[in-house]
Amino acid sequence: MTTVEKLKKILVEDLNLQELSPGDIDENAPLFGEGLGLDSLDAVELIVIIQKRFGIEIQNLDEGKAAFQSVHTLASYIEGRLSGG
Amino acid sequence: MRSTDTAEIRRESRSWSARSIGSRWQHRFFYALIRLAGRRAAYVMVVFVSMYYVLFRPSVRARSRPYLSRRFPGRNALLRLRDSFRITVEIGKVLVDRAALGILGPGQLTVRHGRREDLLERIREGRGLILVTAHAGCWQFAMESLRVLETPVSLLLHREEGDVDLHVFEHRGNDAAFRIIDPAGPLGGALEMLQVLKHGEVLCIMGDRAMGGERSAVEVEFLGGRVRVPVTPYQLASATGAPVVVIFPYKSGPGNYSLQVEKVLRVPEGLGRDPEAYRPHAEAFIRALEGFVEERPYQFFNFFDMWNQEPMR
Repeated sequence: MTTVEKLKKILVEDLNLQELSPGDIDENAPLFGEGLGLDSLDAVELIVIIQKRFGIEIQNLDEGKAAFQSVHTLASYIEGRLSGG
Repeated sequence: MRSTDTAEIRRESRSWSARSIGSRWQHRFFYALIRLAGRRAAYVMVVFVSMYYVLFRPSVRARSRPYLSRRFPGRNALLRLRDSFRITVEIGKVLVDRAALGILGPGQLTVRHGRREDLLERIREGRGLILVTAHAGCWQFAMESLRVLETPVSLLLHREEGDVDLHVFEHRGNDAAFRIIDPAGPLGGALEMLQVLKHGEVLCIMGDRAMGGERSAVEVEFLGGRVRVPVTPYQLASATGAPVVVIFPYKSGPGNYSLQVEKVLRVPEGLGRDPEAYRPHAEAFIRALEGFVEERPYQFFNFFDMWNQEPMR
């Protein structure tokens, strides 16, 4: 399973997005706002989930802001961090 | 954070105002008076200025009316005028104290920390500490006084553009005793708030002002009506395991303040993203606030019609 697929599954299951299935999520759509429609409460949950599931702690605000643009950017960020980037 | 959430915070911030009712020159006059004649002279001036505002500026009375009419239902016109005058004088004195603290230094005021050991014990748990407070007393002074905890303090605060009323640290031109996290910032400040708690530091959030989308708050009963209360502090506690302490700062005498620790809330971990899961904790906070306004009715400075927000869908 690719990181993008894992993330989609996590978003649906851990954030309990009952109205969606992983296949419905456009990996390039914005996570917050008009795309997936997540909000600030979800941001807290998502940051904690990423830490628990991938062991990644996002410390830099600019990095975090860039990473949380879409599923695609978040997956790239996670892969970069896991490969020591 | 949703761009609509950010817009919501900015819109709500415009629909009420924490901005001072005074103009820039009026503030400068008071700052000069404090420098030249001291805090007590400024208190006297506050009485006259408050009288003017309450008698000749209906908009000032209107700002405190939603709260006062619920706290003191059935008052006649004269008593309502007196209530409005009292609360205007009280906030005026608090603003003088705040300016005096910044201009003349910390020796001007004293603060008594009830149950300081309690707070230190919670910090020693190592999971950070979430302080939930309200627009009571001089919350900025309370933040300053948290230096005694010897732990960095951050405050979730949306600063209004163009506010001429200076923060304590802005008078002194030095660093704040606390760091400000803007909820209208990236990801609603979520990343910064989580980092604060991760580092075992103190995060302070106003529990009586809901900002952001409808999912960021629940409706609870307060003084006989429904108000929106934020769930962010309790959700953060659930996500991190940090204890929540409800505190209310209040002016306990001329030049004296107290920081009242009301209660410690433990939020079960992993409650998730449903705001309803946090209703019992939001209720607990509001019950504590009701007790506070019962005891100190003229120290609650939420000049905002909490009971007349758009209903949650």
